[in-house]
Amino acid sequence: MKALILDAADVTKIIDLLRDGGYEVIAPFCGRGRDTYFDVVNGGNIAKVQLHLPNPYYPPKRFVFPAIERLMTARGGADQLDIAPAYEERRQAIFGIRSCDVAGIGHLDRFYLDREFRDIYYEKRRRNLFLVNIVCTDPERDIGEECFCLCTDTGPAARDHFDLQLMDLGEGEWMAVAGTAGGAALFTDPIFRKGGPEHIERRRAILERARKQFKPETTSWFPATVRYISQGEILDKTWEEIGNRCLECGGCSYVCPACTCFTVSDRQAGPREIERVRTWDSCGLSGFTRMAGGFNPRRAVHDRRNRRFFRKLAQSFIQRELSMACVGCGRCAAVCHGDVGMPRVVEMIRRAGPPKEAQA
Amino acid sequence: MSASNIYLPEVAVLERVVDDIPEVKTFYWRFEDAAAQAAFHRFRPGQFAQISLFGAGEFPASLPPSPTEKETFFTIRQVGSCTTALHRLKAGDHFAVRGPYGNGFPMEDYYGKNLTFVAGGIGLIPLRSCIVFAIENRKRFNRIQIFYGAKTPGELMYMEDFGRWEKAGIECHVTVDRSNNGWTGNVGVVGSLFKKPGVSVPVANTTAFVCGPPIMFRFVIKDLLALGFEERNIVSTLERYMKCGVGKCGHCCIGVAYICVDGPVFTYDQIKQLGEDI
Repeated sequence: MKALILDAADVTKIIDLLRDGGYEVIAPFCGRGRDTYFDVVNGGNIAKVQLHLPNPYYPPKRFVFPAIERLMTARGGADQLDIAPAYEERRQAIFGIRSCDVAGIGHLDRFYLDREFRDIYYEKRRRNLFLVNIVCTDPERDIGEECFCLCTDTGPAARDHFDLQLMDLGEGEWMAVAGTAGGAALFTDPIFRKGGPEHIERRRAILERARKQFKPETTSWFPATVRYISQGEILDKTWEEIGNRCLECGGCSYVCPACTCFTVSDRQAGPREIERVRTWDSCGLSGFTRMAGGFNPRRAVHDRRNRRFFRKLAQSFIQRELSMACVGCGRCAAVCHGDVGMPRVVEMIRRAGPPKEAQA
Repeated sequence: MSASNIYLPEVAVLERVVDDIPEVKTFYWRFEDAAAQAAFHRFRPGQFAQISLFGAGEFPASLPPSPTEKETFFTIRQVGSCTTALHRLKAGDHFAVRGPYGNGFPMEDYYGKNLTFVAGGIGLIPLRSCIVFAIENRKRFNRIQIFYGAKTPGELMYMEDFGRWEKAGIECHVTVDRSNNGWTGNVGVVGSLFKKPGVSVPVANTTAFVCGPPIMFRFVIKDLLALGFEERNIVSTLERYMKCGVGKCGHCCIGVAYICVDGPVFTYDQIKQLGEDI
């Protein structure tokens, strides 16, 4: 991988380079307080783009897997039927995507593209997406209370799946690393210059410092939790306790960069025109498994909680996608009213320990 | 099927509708496009398809025909909004289908074995493909027997098929939970047939296929295990709420499996590991 240095004042010029290259650029902005969000950059707001800020709760996965997406349109009716797929292709770049969210998109890539069936809607968006990752280095603004990417091995600096990675080296300098040929192509611009060994050393020191900013509690507990879950060693009592605290809002799934589930529904778009759309769905909702006729194999809320964490942490699924369906962003912990986000669940499972017979 | 878009169904034409039992109809159909029809017809027994009624939605359904038969058809009970929309269609109407999906029965694994089919109610629909395939390839299999039970004589499905199967020398045992006038056959749950005088169920070198409502499934499994069947020699096909059929939407994911791509056919020891109700 090729790394170059640029001045802090030139960092947002990368947005201009991308826009000149035909990309619609999406970047993070700050509202009041903790309110941060991704928005399209235009001539008017480019000065307000934030390089260091708390990661927005609404995850950028929506640029490859939208919360609601049209799949196809059917025209006609029972007498005559015409079905046409609806594709949306536009070149988009996310500037300032955090390492956890880059890992999330990496996970979605493996889920939607690397298995027996390829999802063409995802593929078309992903193929046209350019990722500029910013490494989380600022202990005040980048690294939040809920962050735990150290435990999921996804941060604070992403190792792959980005086109370009930017890192604040302090002293008015940033380091840019190209992850793809597309990222390296930007390096012809005069804002980039060669660095020296001192830059590499600063990067190492800053990352080492950043790693110490994370809460230590859940860090060492993930591997044990993965083992207990994979071996079915978790007491029903623990699942019930987690289930009792779940308010069944589905929020954890909607903010999760690695959740993949969706539902499909038809809606009337004209007198003889039906649109088929897919929307994000959540295994936490009671209707998720309810079949026609009303039979629901997953009745209790703790069955559904069990499902979510099993799907994310069981070894067999980690092997399928070659990554855990949790990237340590901490959003579920931030939005959960019942405080059963991933870090808390990991803690609860670890504290409960394996059942007696497994300990013997 | 569209090779590039896994969610895009092809237009199908309904050729005729046959009333089966109350609330259940059989829909004979073909794809408008001959190439799509030919591609689809390579399905295996035990696979399923996604049926689209635009405006109502899409749902998974077993494929009751055997690939050895010429016609493609679905047998569908009217139970929710999509199946109601399908039941309203008439011959000549258009709808859409994609598939086939799922693992299907590994028929080659059963060559040389005895096949014991046990079905309850509309549980016969997903087993029909396998039964017909076995009969059409009679020499490849050893003894074939079918145990079938329904609530009442009026709810016994595929009775014309049963006539043909009996003529072909297949042991068919039929029972109803409640008889009514004119019924001369057996009365009792399907498991009671195993112990009827003159009936023998081979256990050695036999695969048992069980499909039916949850309560029937549990009792038949108990009966088969009592007869000495090993769990891995009992096979069933599972049903779940599904949106995509191709391992993406997540609704049918139970235990370590996606029913749509890892199933719907599982052996009983696998089903036990999945850890959810049937």
